[in-house]
Amino acid sequence: MIVVIINNVIILAGIGGFLALLLVLADFFLANYGDCQIDINDKRQFTVKGGNSLLNSLAENDVFIPSACGGRGTCGLCKVTVKEGGGPLLPTEKPYLDAEEIEKGVRLSCQVKVKKDIFITIPEALFSIRKFKGIVDNIIDYTYDTKGIIITLQDPAKIDFQAGQYIQLQSRKYPRSKQIVSRAYSMANSPDRNNIIELIIRKVPDGIMTTFTHEYMKEGDQILLTGPYGEFFIRDTEADMIFVAGGSGMAPFKGILEDLSAKDTKRHIVYFFGARTEKDLFLVNEMKEYEKKMKDFTFIPVLSQPDEDTDWDGPTGYIPPLLDKYVRDPKNTEGYLCGSPALIASTEKKMKELGIDKIYYDSFG
Amino acid sequence: MKQTPEEKKIQERLQPGVITLDGFLGKDKRHYHEIITEDLEKLKKLNITREEIADRLQYFTDLALMNNDEEEIIDYIYRVRYITERGKIVSPFMDKGLIAKGQITLENITNGFKICWTPLNISMIRNHGFFEGKGASHRLEPETLIKAIF
Repeated sequence: MIVVIINNVIILAGIGGFLALLLVLADFFLANYGDCQIDINDKRQFTVKGGNSLLNSLAENDVFIPSACGGRGTCGLCKVTVKEGGGPLLPTEKPYLDAEEIEKGVRLSCQVKVKKDIFITIPEALFSIRKFKGIVDNIIDYTYDTKGIIITLQDPAKIDFQAGQYIQLQSRKYPRSKQIVSRAYSMANSPDRNNIIELIIRKVPDGIMTTFTHEYMKEGDQILLTGPYGEFFIRDTEADMIFVAGGSGMAPFKGILEDLSAKDTKRHIVYFFGARTEKDLFLVNEMKEYEKKMKDFTFIPVLSQPDEDTDWDGPTGYIPPLLDKYVRDPKNTEGYLCGSPALIASTEKKMKELGIDKIYYDSFG
Repeated sequence: MKQTPEEKKIQERLQPGVITLDGFLGKDKRHYHEIITEDLEKLKKLNITREEIADRLQYFTDLALMNNDEEEIIDYIYRVRYITERGKIVSPFMDKGLIAKGQITLENITNGFKICWTPLNISMIRNHGFFEGKGASHRLEPETLIKAIF
């Protein structure tokens, strides 16, 4: 009896093992899509090994489509238009696409598997995005919750960008998170210093990336990033400019001012920087230096809740009500905003009420 | 418990260190389906729908957004503060689009009940009836929640 049972177990195990082997072989031979060609905008073609996601296949060939979730199909950002060869639309994509996008062939590149030759279109600007390796050179404590991080680029050693644009920084796995995530951060240096990237990062409670940068990132660490991204840069006009920022929203303006100062701009600029208390202020002396260097630049730090025992004699309260007396001609004024969504929402509303219609900010903020 | 691949994926995404550092389940070892079922039963007993709760939370969120991250009194009864954060977050339930980050705190001045939620809480309550697991940092106990916001 026992011998029969053992024999049956062995036979069953053998059949199971054979089926598993068959599956492995089937996967190897049947799911081997061979070489496939990706054609982008009818301008650039390259050959990839079939079977990978379109997002990864593009990245392997230095075409970086913005993605906030690392290709897990959850952020809906990595959209491309597939003209041919993308296969059927997947249920995982549908929630992120509206009817018009589906009609045009827009797909999430992380969900499309390259199984045959594929023809896609993407915005031309994405061709300039590169992947960079860098070394964390310096970590500066600006405030109790905000750090400056300076990364020296290694490969490639330089980045071409416009002041105000952003990069996507990649985390590593660390004890509290097994996920590698990418997050957007504005560059805080000018394009003249294109061998480094300066970032200003405020710690967000429960944030996977900011916990990494604040608690686990060390000077000397190697880091990966992609960029440059974004349309937050100074328009080439002669219009007055009003900058409004809060917290880590200081970053793009630091880069922009460094750039404008080097170019000896004559444009009329007023920069409001909002903070809750004095301990939330940083880089104030650097901004005051720009007031001396630049012909028509005013820096106005504003505290919303100054401590009772402070000797603060600057403006207090919210920034939007202060704008009235600084807008000379709304039709000849551009607004540039970077900060918390609340700051952006209230400032944009006020600027529109004042008649300013050229208002710029990055949607990631 | 049998799960579809999608449900398995959602359960994984609710764990710590995947979408947020602390995750959405706290110390709750149950499957998210069980958590939702229990909470929806509570709502039935309390004679309220998840949509009504989500609408109310959205009402406070929208009003507080325009107050520059500072505290304000809404409708003479509710002390509310919305601290917004740059950036957006995905839903563990793979709902469409990205959701604003940030945290809203509310104190009902008349009865002293205090709660705290995120824009993602509103989405998860409205679309899935998910109030997070016991002990999660943004778990909203239905009974307390209702006493605070209605």
